[in-house]
Amino acid sequence: MEDNPHPPKRRRFFAQSSPSPPPEESDPVLLSTPQREIHSYAPIEEPSSDAPIFADPDEDVEPNAVSDGHIEEDEDAIDIQALGIRLDAVIFESFVGEKLPVDVLKQLDDVSGGDLQRAINMYLDGSWREVKESASKISRNQSPFTSLFGQNGKRKTPTDPGLGPSAPTPSSDEETAQRLDKMPAERYIGSFGAEGWATRSGRDLLKHGEEVFIERQQPQQTQKMVRRGKGKAVAVVPQPTSKRKDIVVRFSNSKGDEIGRLQHETAQFVSTLLDQKICVFKAVCVYAPDVLRTNETIYLQLNCYMLRQTFNPRAIRMVDSNRSTGLFEAKETEEEKALRLRQTSLVKLFNEIKLYPTSAGQDSKAKREGLLQVAEMAEEKEKEDAARGGSTPIKDEEEQQEGKELEQDQLDQLYKKAQTFDFNSPEAEPADTFAMDLRKYQKQALHWMLNKERDKKNEGQDESMHPLWEEYTWPVKDENDRELPIVENQEKFYVNPYSGELSLKFPVQEQNCLGGILADEMGLGKTIEMLSLVHSNRIEPEISADSGSKPLSLPRLPKNSDVVEPAPYTTLVVAPMSLLSQWASEAEAASKPGSLKTMIYYGADKSLDLRAQCSVANAHNAPNVIITSYGVVLSEFTQIANSANGSRGSSGGLFSVQFFRIILDEAHNIKNRQSKTAKACYELDAIHRWVLTGTPIVNRLEDLFSLVRFLRVEPWSNFAFWRTFITVPFESKDFLRALDVVQTVLEPLVMRRTKDMKQPDGTPLVFLPPKTIILEEIELSKAERAVYDFIYMYVKRSFAENMEAGSVMKSYTTIFAQILRLRQSCCHPTLVRKKEIVADEVEAEAAEADAKGLTDNMDLQALIDKFTSQENDKGEVNNYNAHVLQQIKEEAENECPICSNEPIEEMTVTACFHMACKKCLLSLIEYAKNKNEQARCFSCREPIHEKELYEVVKHEKENIPAAFQADASAEPEFSLRRIAAGKSSAKIDALITNLKRLRRENPGMKSVVFSQFTSFISLIEPALARERIQYVRFDGAMSQQQRSAVLGKFKTHVGGIVLLISLKAGGVGLNLTEAKRVFMMDPWWSFAVESQAIDRIHRMGQTEEVVVHRFIVKGSVEERMVHKIQERKKFIASSLGMMSAEEKRAQRIEDIKDLLS
Amino acid sequence: MALPKRIIKETERLVAEPVPGIQAVPHEDNLRYFDVSIHGPTQSPYEGGVFKLELFLPEDYPMTPPKIRFLTKIYHPNIDRLGRICLDVLKANWSPALQIRTILLSIQALLGAPNPDDPLANDVAQRWKEDEPGAIATAREWTQTYATS
Repeated sequence: MEDNPHPPKRRRFFAQSSPSPPPEESDPVLLSTPQREIHSYAPIEEPSSDAPIFADPDEDVEPNAVSDGHIEEDEDAIDIQALGIRLDAVIFESFVGEKLPVDVLKQLDDVSGGDLQRAINMYLDGSWREVKESASKISRNQSPFTSLFGQNGKRKTPTDPGLGPSAPTPSSDEETAQRLDKMPAERYIGSFGAEGWATRSGRDLLKHGEEVFIERQQPQQTQKMVRRGKGKAVAVVPQPTSKRKDIVVRFSNSKGDEIGRLQHETAQFVSTLLDQKICVFKAVCVYAPDVLRTNETIYLQLNCYMLRQTFNPRAIRMVDSNRSTGLFEAKETEEEKALRLRQTSLVKLFNEIKLYPTSAGQDSKAKREGLLQVAEMAEEKEKEDAARGGSTPIKDEEEQQEGKELEQDQLDQLYKKAQTFDFNSPEAEPADTFAMDLRKYQKQALHWMLNKERDKKNEGQDESMHPLWEEYTWPVKDENDRELPIVENQEKFYVNPYSGELSLKFPVQEQNCLGGILADEMGLGKTIEMLSLVHSNRIEPEISADSGSKPLSLPRLPKNSDVVEPAPYTTLVVAPMSLLSQWASEAEAASKPGSLKTMIYYGADKSLDLRAQCSVANAHNAPNVIITSYGVVLSEFTQIANSANGSRGSSGGLFSVQFFRIILDEAHNIKNRQSKTAKACYELDAIHRWVLTGTPIVNRLEDLFSLVRFLRVEPWSNFAFWRTFITVPFESKDFLRALDVVQTVLEPLVMRRTKDMKQPDGTPLVFLPPKTIILEEIELSKAERAVYDFIYMYVKRSFAENMEAGSVMKSYTTIFAQILRLRQSCCHPTLVRKKEIVADEVEAEAAEADAKGLTDNMDLQALIDKFTSQENDKGEVNNYNAHVLQQIKEEAENECPICSNEPIEEMTVTACFHMACKKCLLSLIEYAKNKNEQARCFSCREPIHEKELYEVVKHEKENIPAAFQADASAEPEFSLRRIAAGKSSAKIDALITNLKRLRRENPGMKSVVFSQFTSFISLIEPALARERIQYVRFDGAMSQQQRSAVLGKFKTHVGGIVLLISLKAGGVGLNLTEAKRVFMMDPWWSFAVESQAIDRIHRMGQTEEVVVHRFIVKGSVEERMVHKIQERKKFIASSLGMMSAEEKRAQRIEDIKDLLS
Repeated sequence: MALPKRIIKETERLVAEPVPGIQAVPHEDNLRYFDVSIHGPTQSPYEGGVFKLELFLPEDYPMTPPKIRFLTKIYHPNIDRLGRICLDVLKANWSPALQIRTILLSIQALLGAPNPDDPLANDVAQRWKEDEPGAIATAREWTQTYATS
């Protein structure tokens, strides 16, 4: 009730300025209005600013701008916020500062319904006269409490039939103001019964039907004005840590004597509603004992009136662009807290008065419960935090900042809604300069994108209500079932239960972002779809300008270097470096010759001044597409940021122009909103903004925020807003609501189709040949096993020690590093061992071999020659040897004498020239070793040694065209190679075996080998070289040119070739459909990452079956990673994992335990 | 555990190209277990007899030799009362290049050429050395008694 002075004042303000109503704040041009308001009515708002969310920050700035009237109040009430109600003529007069005639007092009393406060205000603003006039036209009841509805008399409703809540013209500031103007200062919304308890005793203090005044005792105001940075004085709600929030709500009888307090539950929300000036309560005593004793219960009926001010949209915008410095605060700010209180209180109130939305997004009851729950949780959390004190604040903050990770299933759910794709949605034909045929769904995407780009704000499509809002109908009868005066054209009001915002205006779902998120799954052709858009929606330079006024077409430098020049013909593509050339080549392939000028803006190529290049004046030479990398964007951004003036224009770079369109490819690169790259991308200027990503959310909801921020989707691009509606509910476990909101954010922005989507006729969206994944178990050799076991024991011990000491989480990274070593040792022991030792071993072996007259790589022909020349000396034996070699040469398909395989796999010859499979011979030696016996040749029982085994290496000459192979020299060349020299790891052996088999069975087939460890790739390289297997390597350390050269070679090479590629560098974006075989050398924690890598090959354009081999070392952490952790990640995904931070930690420890079990 | 390719191939070949005088049939429920019968070589005390053996291919086969035992009672210096056979290729001289077929041939050859200097059944070997005709007679007798049906 203390806020009573406000509405009448405001009303007066409107009355005065109704010809030019106050504009809505959202209009950027009129942002200065708050200043104006301060002088008109802010003084009165000032004392009430203990509700910061209402207060426009600018209003808080100037405590000096206090008007006379305010000072009067100030003096009287001592405290600026003390607007205490004293129902007393004396007080009234002392307030007003003058003696009043009795009739005026009487009138005022009538008009204000006996409410002193209102009376004072009305007197001060003069509205009481007005009311009197209009009120006299309405018959009024004499009952003391119905006189309350004297207010209704003020509902003089200017008739304006053109406007109605059902058919509002959105974004009309005038209309909003008018609407607001029409609304009475207070409007009845409902009533509810409440209990209170007496704080005093006495006789006849209160009787049935007597009017009761509800008031808020002022909390300790002195502490509440807090100085903030920039000299702003902001009133804050008392710190939760200092004391529990004061929520006492007292009530007094008509004489102004305090009778009692409201019951706790009621007081809780009533206090907030009063403090934040959302409504006023007028109460009537329903029952009170004649003789009242302290603590006795009094029954009241509370009639609630919404204040007009509440509906003022200006008051609601709690976050302004000028607050951006504080955007990234992780903790709930005071504003956010006040907002939360407001939101909860409103919801509680609506529950009490049984007001339900006439129209809302979904089951509003459940929603309400959810809201209340969230609020409670937030409170609890707050208490917890406070209780925990200062011991863990840093950690907590960190976690909050990080945002919780999403479980897979939650992601699935999100996407499920986002990808309810209508297969009958309209299609659009691309422009005829586009040279490719689009599939149906791609045409649909084009249509959607064209629509998004052309979607201007006032395109008269049917407006849907903003999904966060609910529609309510004003009650038409009062608590006594009497008709309430009707306010014309205001049957409804709107509430946003998420923010506590109220509005009289129909909240339209705004859609002013002229772009969106194209989130089709990999392989559906996002690039092509985007290129079709580039072709189909572009501004053609005016021909007349070209032919007629020649001077205009000459490029010239803009005069002012600080101004951002428009580049209306240019689309900027920002992509990871590895994809630049792919974009360029696809752009070329998709365009009719000469129809699209493409430019890669990277490295040395970027010396150009884009301002001149892309300006309107240079229309005919301006590039249509500029392709650049995230790195370039970042470096230009830091350059500008570090330059003295920080002006965008001076550099002539990406930031100096406003592009027609920006496309961020693989946009999850900016998923971290705090990363410099993300910030740099936000600063890029363009009319249309698009992001392409197969994974708009990688693992936390904040990932999506960054995209939304880039797209500049209001209001979600504001992190505080985002946090309030998405992060906080999500963190407080209200997943469904958070995800629900995210869905409403996503829905208009995102187009997402997946590969396994089925068209209505049941055919899949994209036909892909089958994919087979083979899990290959690898047995480590004894030496490898020893290395592995050693590390394993070490890690296990250290983990156990940490478990005991309880420092597992602290040394989490160390443990993980150790597990990394363990995983590396599965790949190749030398990844862990010191390089020098290995080198030494190799040398020693080589020396030994030299002594025996055998070099590492003997040419077979030379060997044969050698033996035939010795024929005379050694007779038959050597003859036989020569025969064996001859046999090999003739490629006789011998059967392995040990495993009966035909032909012998990886033919290996002993020193005594007996031939078997490599693995059979090795296992024979291994077997003997285990029994401490000397291994003997299976055939002649000569002692054999691992070091004296020779593998037959066939050198295929694939590059020679068949025509030339007829002559004798074309027979494959052979050589013998000592196995020990090429001794690699079990995994490399398995890879080689597979590649050789592939070469034998499918000559010319290309394959891709993925590993996480580039050092491992470096070890695979020599192994391939030894086998004379063609290969190329692609990793993150390569320059852009090198990368495209490598990919070019892989694609154009005739015949079989292997692409060695690091999982990180090549896991995304690349198109490797030339390959048909994939080898995953090591498992990743979640299969999704591997799967994405596999999809580089198994994607649109793949024509044959793809076979994937995953190498897993048997009985190792790898096996456990695949079978336990990857499996579990799938499992959790299906059970809607609702895990707290603690549970998560426990889970991580569980992960490690699993690995080490 | 799946049967190694080698065992399958050997079995197929034993069926397809049987060795004269030797039969080896795998059990249906255990393909590593064979019922073997060997005909006594001509001009030996075991001529006319058909000797039953059991043969088992252990897990490590062919790294380890098969396990073979006579089921039919036989009087032979290198075969004991339990039917165990003393043969170098079944022990130290085993090589993975040897096969069921070759081993069975070796056993058949052993029947034709007993080697009392490397005995397993000491009493039989002793008698073979001291009274070879008597021993041979006993061997014949046993063959008649146990190895003919």
